[in-house]
Amino acid sequence: MRPETPSFAKVLYTNGYEFTQGTGYTLPEYPFVSPPDLHSNQVLRNAIVIVGGGITGLTLACSLANQGVKAVLLDEDNTVGVKGASSRGICYTQKSLEIFERLGIYKRIAAKGVQWSVGRTFAGKDEVYSFDLSAQSNFNLSAQPPFMNIQQFYIEGFLVERIAELGGVDLRWNSRVTGFEQNDEFATLTVQTPEGTYHIQADHVIDATGSHTPFHAWTGVSMQSTKGDDRWCIADVRFNTHPPVERHTWIEAPFNENRAVWQHLMADDVWRIDYQMAPNADPAYVSREDVVRERLERQFGKEVKVDIVWVGPYAYKSQCVDTLQMGRVYFMGDTAKVVSPFGARGGNTGVSDADNLAWKLGAVLKGWASPALLDSYNVERLEAAQENVRVTNRTARFLRAPEGMERSFRHAAISLAKQYPFARSLINTGRMAVANTYTRSSICADNGGISLQNVSLSWRKGHNGVVNDLLNWAAGRLVLLSFGTSTQAGLRRLRTLTEGTPLRCVQVVDTLTPPQAREHVIDTQHRLRSACQLQGQGWALVRPDGYLAATGHRVDGSLIEAIANTLAL
Amino acid sequence: MKTTANFQDADGFYELLIDAHADMSPEQSELLNTRLILILANQIGDSALLRECIEAAKDLSI
Repeated sequence: MRPETPSFAKVLYTNGYEFTQGTGYTLPEYPFVSPPDLHSNQVLRNAIVIVGGGITGLTLACSLANQGVKAVLLDEDNTVGVKGASSRGICYTQKSLEIFERLGIYKRIAAKGVQWSVGRTFAGKDEVYSFDLSAQSNFNLSAQPPFMNIQQFYIEGFLVERIAELGGVDLRWNSRVTGFEQNDEFATLTVQTPEGTYHIQADHVIDATGSHTPFHAWTGVSMQSTKGDDRWCIADVRFNTHPPVERHTWIEAPFNENRAVWQHLMADDVWRIDYQMAPNADPAYVSREDVVRERLERQFGKEVKVDIVWVGPYAYKSQCVDTLQMGRVYFMGDTAKVVSPFGARGGNTGVSDADNLAWKLGAVLKGWASPALLDSYNVERLEAAQENVRVTNRTARFLRAPEGMERSFRHAAISLAKQYPFARSLINTGRMAVANTYTRSSICADNGGISLQNVSLSWRKGHNGVVNDLLNWAAGRLVLLSFGTSTQAGLRRLRTLTEGTPLRCVQVVDTLTPPQAREHVIDTQHRLRSACQLQGQGWALVRPDGYLAATGHRVDGSLIEAIANTLAL
Repeated sequence: MKTTANFQDADGFYELLIDAHADMSPEQSELLNTRLILILANQIGDSALLRECIEAAKDLSI
């Protein structure tokens, strides 16, 4: 009898790296350290085993380490990036940067990366419209910029070093998972290493292995997939000229047979030029060096010297599992969903997936929350995954509008956008990733489920701080922001009510009102209060991932209920 | 969605519409139509109403 073919096998095309070329980068290499499992007669049990050391798996590992939660991470090779394919994600959103700030690697990213805020969209020879993100008020509250561009492997490398610094997470390189089974009590993984094969048991397995994951077949998870005929070819290059520090997108580029082109900057003066190819183009042909050079010459001219760092053809597809949890296995990053890169909704979503599950695992393992809290990971991040798939699919349709009515409407939208601002909203060259809002999560109140930005505030004596400082101080506990003045009796009442709960209380005052609590911060311009969408007195319950769980006006049973609810108690 | 006449001058509008297409190639006419749909849709704006209009227009059974 033939085994049933899992549904992913049919759609699994390459967005892999078999045709990649270029001089690339020298990536760091990490040593294989013989784990105790290889020298033990027993199979050792771990609370958390993360499989895959990409940006998602490493963010989870770092976020766990930051809370003092132990875990093992297994990665199949000995470096960050993918061998021979050092460029993948390049654009990191404010929410991701806020997470990296909390994990202690933001300063390194900011020092290496490139900030940009101006984007221009062209069709033919004309500019259709441009935008300046720094002028948009929805990005203004955070201490981090709207976006930063940097090669993905840099962030991964920073995470590896930060994890080593924090300790508690065992990063195991050259450790390929080749087998998996699970029962009511634990999961067992088979791990292949240069020194032999061993088994490891886990209470929770996190699959962060990427789009080619074996766990889909091992768990039998069902999924929704679509695969189009759209083909792209990326060229990461260095020039002897310096294009402006802006994102340029062409919907119809005259130098690319009227197909789309992306021009994006990264660290080290490397530019990513992403060319849309003819439908069903042959990946081997379009990524051949002479073909790539000719394409670059058409865009930049013969006189420009081009150094090719990396070339990779892509067939964009979208895929989303129907559930992020199969028994003890949690899917995140590209094992949860695969999207086209439009709007930077791939890696950034993975980072938020990791940050979402990390505090929940921590709270459950420390006995602060009910194990049912882990179910909310699926509810919240599946909503995010589905939303990100929907948004990127719309962009993909706009950019690969077939001849006929779809092309006619796009043509109409472009022609109108040159004349009238309203039509610019129809031009879809990618909707930049945002911190997704959770509308279906039972652990969020109706007024919660939104990401609180990393707002600047002042400590006592005028030292500058940010919301992340409060979250790190709470170390995996909830943070209760209490806005406005209080009486000593009121503070006592708050203390009594919240005693024994994993919670840290902070009074938030403006400069005019003297604080009553020792733990207080100063919010002179009411930025924090407005980020919490509160008016006047009241409280905001903030989760360790910087999301608002609930807000309220009175310190009473409703607060106790909100705390219990947020921890699924 | 309004299903009774809301025009100030129905005949006048109709004439204006077909006059606009006079002397146009099929390609130009198509561009005019698609531009017009997008301009009018923006005047409506309301998502539910736009959906209802599209659904109504899709019903080709008559």
